[in-house]
Amino acid sequence: MRFAIETVNLHIYYGSNHVIKGVNLQIPEKGVFALMGPSGCGKSTMLRTFNRLIELNEEARIEGEVKLFGKNIYSSDVDPIEVRKQVGMVFQYPNPFPHLTIYDNVAIGLKLNRLVSSKEEMDKRVEWALKKAALWDEVKDRLKDYPSSLSGGQRQRLVIARALAMKPKILLMDEPTANIDPVGTSKIEELLFELRKDYTIVLVTHSPAQAARISNYVGFLYSGELIEVGPTRKVFENPEHELTEQYVTGVLG
Amino acid sequence: MRMDGFKAIAIVAVLVVFAVFAGMLVIYFTNAVPAFHRFGIDVYLKNIWNAAEEPSREAYGIAAAIWGSFYTSLIAVLIVLPLSISYSIFVVDYAPKRLKNVIIILSDVMGGLPTIIYGIWGAFVLVPLLRDYVMQFLYDHLSFIPVFSYPPITGYSYLSAGILLAIMVTPFASAIIREAYEMIPYTYREAAYALGATKYEATKLLIGYIKPAILSGFILAFGRAIGETVAVSLVIGNTFNLTWKLFAPGYTISSLIANQFGNAFIYEYMTPVLYAAGVALFIIGLGINIIGLRFIRRWEENVKL
Amino acid sequence: MSSFEVRKQKERLFLMGIGSLTFLALLPLFHIIATVFRNGLPVIIKEGLNFLTGTFSNGGIGPAIIGTFTLTFLASLLGLPIAFLVGLYAYEFPRSTVGRWTKMLLQIMIEFPTILVGVFVMQVLVVPMGTYSAFAGALALAIILMPYVAIYTHEAMREIPFTYREAGYSLGLTRIKVLLKILAPMTKRGIFTGVLIGVAKVAGETAPLLFTAGGLYESYPSSVTKPIGSISLLIYQLVQSPSPADHEMAWGASLILLIVFLGIFIPIRLSLKEVKL
Ligand SMILES: Nc1ncnc2c1ncn2[C@@H]1O[C@H](COP(=O)(O)OP(=O)(O)OP(=O)(O)O)[C@@H](O)[C@H]1O
Ligand SMILES: [Mg+2]
Repeated sequence: MRFAIETVNLHIYYGSNHVIKGVNLQIPEKGVFALMGPSGCGKSTMLRTFNRLIELNEEARIEGEVKLFGKNIYSSDVDPIEVRKQVGMVFQYPNPFPHLTIYDNVAIGLKLNRLVSSKEEMDKRVEWALKKAALWDEVKDRLKDYPSSLSGGQRQRLVIARALAMKPKILLMDEPTANIDPVGTSKIEELLFELRKDYTIVLVTHSPAQAARISNYVGFLYSGELIEVGPTRKVFENPEHELTEQYVTGVLG
Repeated sequence: MRMDGFKAIAIVAVLVVFAVFAGMLVIYFTNAVPAFHRFGIDVYLKNIWNAAEEPSREAYGIAAAIWGSFYTSLIAVLIVLPLSISYSIFVVDYAPKRLKNVIIILSDVMGGLPTIIYGIWGAFVLVPLLRDYVMQFLYDHLSFIPVFSYPPITGYSYLSAGILLAIMVTPFASAIIREAYEMIPYTYREAAYALGATKYEATKLLIGYIKPAILSGFILAFGRAIGETVAVSLVIGNTFNLTWKLFAPGYTISSLIANQFGNAFIYEYMTPVLYAAGVALFIIGLGINIIGLRFIRRWEENVKL
Repeated sequence: MSSFEVRKQKERLFLMGIGSLTFLALLPLFHIIATVFRNGLPVIIKEGLNFLTGTFSNGGIGPAIIGTFTLTFLASLLGLPIAFLVGLYAYEFPRSTVGRWTKMLLQIMIEFPTILVGVFVMQVLVVPMGTYSAFAGALALAIILMPYVAIYTHEAMREIPFTYREAGYSLGLTRIKVLLKILAPMTKRGIFTGVLIGVAKVAGETAPLLFTAGGLYESYPSSVTKPIGSISLLIYQLVQSPSPADHEMAWGASLILLIVFLGIFIPIRLSLKEVKL
C-alpha cells in the first residue's frame, strides 16, 4: 500500500530539546487523519515537517525521513518550495492576509507562483476554491472586501480556500478550530467531512471528541512519541495502551 | 544556509553598507597618517595652530578642540539630566492623556528640527540673551570664581554651545528615558503604593529601577552632542582655547573640521591634521555609542525577564 | 505640621518642580518658532513670490529651494533601495552573524557624526571629480538616510506575526516573494513612515553638505555633476556673514526650511504613536 505520508524514524530537536522521538507513522491516502495529544507533545512540530515549514525555525533540526507518496522530501535533491506547492496548510489562528481582498487572498498563491495564465481561469479557480471551502455563497458579492469584514469561522474557511486553490494533494491543519466559536467550528467540521472524500487531510487537534467526530484514522502523540495509531473507531473503542485510554476518556489533560 | 534570490540581492546591499563604513575608516586613517608621522601623538595633546606656507614651520595640535568637544557635551549633559528626567516623570506619571500626547509630539518635533535652525536661533538670539542677562551678571558678581572669570565680550563661548546642545539633545535623551520609564511593569508601581508610598515616593523608587536606562540615555545624548556640527560652530566662537572658563570662546572637533577644511588644502599638513581630528571624533563617537547601546540593550533584556 | 502634611507638601513641590522643568525643556521650541516667524515673515512678505523663485542677488532663494529638493530626491533614489534591502536582511537573518553585525552597524551609523560622512564623500568623490556636485551631496545625504529607513523597515517587519510568514511559505512561495510581495506590503505604512522621517531628517541636514554640495545660489542647478545649493547650507553661510542684509535673508530661508520640515514631519507624527529620533 502506498501512503500519502510516511515518516521513518523521525527525530526533531529544537537546539538540545528533543521534541519528536523516533516516530514511524503511516498516513493513508484520502480521508482525515487526526493527530491528537496533550498540549506541548509536539503535534504542531511534527505537522510542520510534512511541508518542511519547520525549516523556518532556525533552531530546529530534523533526523530521519518523511516520505510523501513514497518520495523522501528531505533528500538533498528536493526543493522545499515544490513540496509546499503540493501541500496546503491551515493554521491555528485564522491568518488571511489582512492587506489583500478576499479574492486576492484566494488568488495570491496562484498568482505569485504563476500557475494560471488568464484572468478567466483565475476567476474560475477562485470561485471553485471558495465553493469547495463552503464560503462562496457568503462572500460572492463582496470579493473586493477585506477579510477584516469576515467572522473568525469565515476567515478560517477563506484560509482553507487559499490552500485549496493551489490544488494540493494533502491538506495540513493545525488546530483549525482552536480560535473559532462553536457555530464556526461545526461549519468547518462539516466542511472537513466533505473534503475528506478527495483529499488527504492531517488534522492536529487537542480534542479527542473532535478527532472522534471527523477522522478516519487517528494517531496519539504523547511527549514526542507515537503511542498508538489506527482506525478511529478502533482506537476510541478498544485502545491498546492505557495512556491512550486515559487520554480519550479525558483523564489525561 | 542556502543562497536564494533574496539573499543574493540583499547581501549586495549589506556589503555596500559595510564597505561604506570600512571605507570611512580607511579614508580617515590613511589620510591622517602624515599628521601622525610629523607630529606624533602631540597632534592630540598639544594646543597649537600654526598654519604656514612653509611646511617646516607648520605645527598643529588639536587638544583645545578635543577639550571643547568634551567640555561642551558635558555642560549639555548636565543640563539635560534634570530636564529629561523631569520630563519623563511628568509625562508618564502626572500629565493627563491629552497633554501627554501634546508634550511628546512637541518633544519629537524638537528632536527632528533641522539643526541649522537651532544654529541661527543660537547665534542671533540665544547668545546675546545669555551674554547680556546671564554671563554679564555672573561675571559682574562672581568673577572671583575661576569658571566665571572670562569677560563675556561676544557671548560666543563654551557655555553658549553647551546650552544650545542641551536644548538640542534633551528631546533625544527624554525619549529614551521616557520609554524605559513606561516599560516598568505596572505591578511595581502597585507594590510601591501597597507599601504606603505617596506618588512622589513611588516615583523615587521607580526611577532607581531605570538607572541603567538613564545612564545609557546620557551616554547616547553625549554622543549626539559631540557629533553636532553646524549649530555649535555658529555659537562657540571658533578659537583655540583650552580652559575651564565658561564664557571663553573655544572650538570643538566637529566645528574645527567644519571651519578649517575649506582652506586646509593650502597647507601641507593641515588636511592630515584635520583627518586626525576626524579619527579622534570617529573613535570617540564609536566608543560612546557602543557603550550606550550596550547599556540599553542590557537593560531591555533585564526588563523582559 | 503633621508628617502627613509634610508629605503632602513635598508631593506638591515635587510636581511643581518637574512640571516647570518639563515646560523649560519645551520652551525653546516655542521661542524658536516664534523668532523664526517674526524675523522671517517680514522678509518673505517684502520680497513676495520672488523670495521663492528669484536668485540670490535678486533677493530670492529659489536655487536653494530647488537644491534642497533635488538633493533630497537624489539621496532618496540612492539610499532608499539599499536601506530597504538592508532592513529586510536584518529582519530575515536576525541570528546570523552578518545579520547581527548589520543591526549593530545600523545603530552605530544612525548616531554617527554627520560631518564625518561629508568629509568622507569629499575625499572619495569631490577630490577625484575635481568639483563639488549635487551627486556628492546626495551621496552624503544617502549615507545618513540609510540607517533611519533600514531601522524603521526592520522594526515594522518585526511587528508582523510569525503566522503570516508561515502562511506565505506554506503556499510554496520563495523567500523573495514572501518578503517583497506579502510581508513588506502588509506593513507598507510602517516602512513608509520610516522613509518620510529619514527624508525629513536629511532635507534639513547641513554638515554633510559643507564639503560636498558646494553651493549655488545665482542660478538654478542644471546637472548632477555640478555644484548645487541647499536652504540649510545657505543659512549656514549667511549667518556667518557680517552683513545685516544677509542675516535677513537667512531668517527668511529659515522660515521656509521650518515650514518644509513641519509640513513633512507633523502629519507623519500625528499619524503614528512613536518615532525614533
Ligand atoms: N521554536 C521553538 N523553540 C524551542 N522549543 C520549541 C519551539 N516550539 C516548540 N517548542 C517546544 O517543543 C515542544 C512541542 O511543541 P509543539 O508546539 O509542537 O506542541 P503542540 O503539541 O503543538 O502543543 P499545542 O497543543 O500547545 O499547540 C514543546 O515542548 C515546546 O516547548
Ligand atoms: Mg500546536
